[in-house]
Amino acid sequence: MRILIAEDDPMLADGLVRSLKESDYAVDCVSEGGAADHVLAGQNYDLVILDLGLPRLDGFEVLRRLRHRGSRVPVLVLTARDALDDRVKGLDLGADDYLTKPFDLPELEARVRALIRRGQSGGTSVLSHGALTLDTAGRCATLDGELLDLSARELGVLEVLMLRSGRVVNKDRLAEQLYGWDEEVGANAIEVYVHRLRRKLEPGGVTIRTIRGLGYLLEKSP
Amino acid sequence: MTRRPRTLRRQLLTWLVAPLIVLWTLSTWIDFEIANRFVRFAYDRALLESALDISRQVKVVDGRVHADLPEVVVQMLRTRQSGAAYYLVTGPDNEYITGDPDLPSPPDPRSDAVYFYDGQHRGKPVSAVAMPLPIDSGGVAGNVLVRVAEDYGTRTEVARQIMIGMMIPQGVLIVLAALAVWYAIGRGLAPLNSLQREISARSHRDLSALSAEQAPREVRPLIQAMNDLLGRLSKALASQQRLIGNAAHQLRTPIAGIKTQTELALRQARVSETRETLQRLQAATEQATRMINQLLALARAEPGGEGAHTRERLDLAVLARDTTSEWVPRAIARDIDLGLDSTDAAAPVEGDPFLLREMLNNLLDNALSYTQRGGRVTVRVTPDANRIVLSVEDNGPGVPEAERDRVFERFYRVLGTGVEGCGLGLAIVQEIAQRHGADAVLTHGADGTGTLVRVGFPRAA
Repeated sequence: MRILIAEDDPMLADGLVRSLKESDYAVDCVSEGGAADHVLAGQNYDLVILDLGLPRLDGFEVLRRLRHRGSRVPVLVLTARDALDDRVKGLDLGADDYLTKPFDLPELEARVRALIRRGQSGGTSVLSHGALTLDTAGRCATLDGELLDLSARELGVLEVLMLRSGRVVNKDRLAEQLYGWDEEVGANAIEVYVHRLRRKLEPGGVTIRTIRGLGYLLEKSP
Repeated sequence: MTRRPRTLRRQLLTWLVAPLIVLWTLSTWIDFEIANRFVRFAYDRALLESALDISRQVKVVDGRVHADLPEVVVQMLRTRQSGAAYYLVTGPDNEYITGDPDLPSPPDPRSDAVYFYDGQHRGKPVSAVAMPLPIDSGGVAGNVLVRVAEDYGTRTEVARQIMIGMMIPQGVLIVLAALAVWYAIGRGLAPLNSLQREISARSHRDLSALSAEQAPREVRPLIQAMNDLLGRLSKALASQQRLIGNAAHQLRTPIAGIKTQTELALRQARVSETRETLQRLQAATEQATRMINQLLALARAEPGGEGAHTRERLDLAVLARDTTSEWVPRAIARDIDLGLDSTDAAAPVEGDPFLLREMLNNLLDNALSYTQRGGRVTVRVTPDANRIVLSVEDNGPGVPEAERDRVFERFYRVLGTGVEGCGLGLAIVQEIAQRHGADAVLTHGADGTGTLVRVGFPRAA
């Protein structure tokens, strides 16, 4: 897996390179927009991490040229600004995701994994959380290596929770995710699925926390 | 020592009325002189008439001059309108013929012309006329001198009355003029007063130009100058806000670098002291990040700030849900039960989503920082017919009643809490609330303990 980092702050670039190398990615790094554009024109990457505030040629332009050449490589945009139009502009030009600085390293790593997974059609798609794994393609989950007996809806709820592990998943969002396969899924139904999931996951020490009035959170593995 | 400020009205009035009074005095003096002259002329004529009446009685009998005044004439002289007259007739050799011998003599008794003069008669000032009557018959030749005098006081009295008669209407005129000036100044200053009202009714955020449409031409340059100043001020403010905004944005990248490096180092660090140091460093970057966001919020919330006019209709309940969700991991780390209490009803509010999120971020940051482990923090969105109330309640130590107003001041910090911060949080909350036509109130929680901050927004139509 090759990743290109285009970031001009040396300390941040160095941190990103080291973190991603630890996860066994092959990482190249450029600190300037023109160089990023040049490298991207000549070589293939599985992911580009692009800072919008690059010197000489800014991130927007690098992204615009990249998409103009017809490349579909996933792009994760980093921005020091929070004005909404920056994000919209970035996503309109073909960025796949964005993070505002400063960000948590695990968050960045999770997004990188997600984007690379998305980029590989039919590649591996196994989510893991402590003793728990979920194969999104094979539609099955294991706990401590043993196959769990989950309904399609329970699996759907678990997938959303695992994709956002450590973060709150709203009940409405859960319902939305399940809407695709089912007709209307009420909040009560979600509670039932979560209740069942909890019972099945308990032996493996995986906890789904209820957050008052907000939703659920798959607690980080200890 | 305080001096009363000079008012324009008093100054104008002084400068208009003082010369009028000087002119009035001068004109009174001139009036008196003119009145005196006419009175003197008229009275002198009357004296001369009397002298003529007497002279008609002068006869020469047996070589001697006689002047037998009939009782009618004497009576007439005593009862003249202008006061009693005294008379004296003397012969060519200045011999006494008839009348009052004490009458004063003219400077030149031998003059051939009628002469008017003033003198003393029995200790009183008198005006007199000396009329020479040439006689050349019956052996008498020379001038018989007829003198008539009257009290001078009468004339002065008449002149005085004439003068007073002229002074009073003039004085009344001056008073009326002063009143007219007073009123006219008030009318003239009305545009300035309305300008003053317009300026003092303004909020400190409003740096838009003042309207010059209603103003008279003389006031327009003043308004123009003020508008120029307002324009420059708002430009300066805007550039200052941009500077703060840019600086804050720029700071995020190095902080992201420090944060990433710290997290990497934490993964590798095995020695517990090193880990502790790194964790403190991590906490410091969190703190720095919060402060940068606060700075950005302040820069944005103030007049002329970046995106100062970003306003959209949004659902405060959704915004509260999303923002609160982001704080859950930190609440879990601090073992605090953070939750949202809201109905399914929409809570439409007109506002700047960035600022409203930042407001809630600050309220949650405070609540989570000051509440003890095992505590409880609840965010509520309560919509009613006119208002949408956003509140954050905790069951922490609370804020002493005496300090509740002061905590909204910038850089004010409640002492002895042991929590790091820069005292901007609630100031930002208040600033953002006011920008949205809302007001933040800090009180105690439902059961009398803890802290409750309530912000009531006008409901969007």
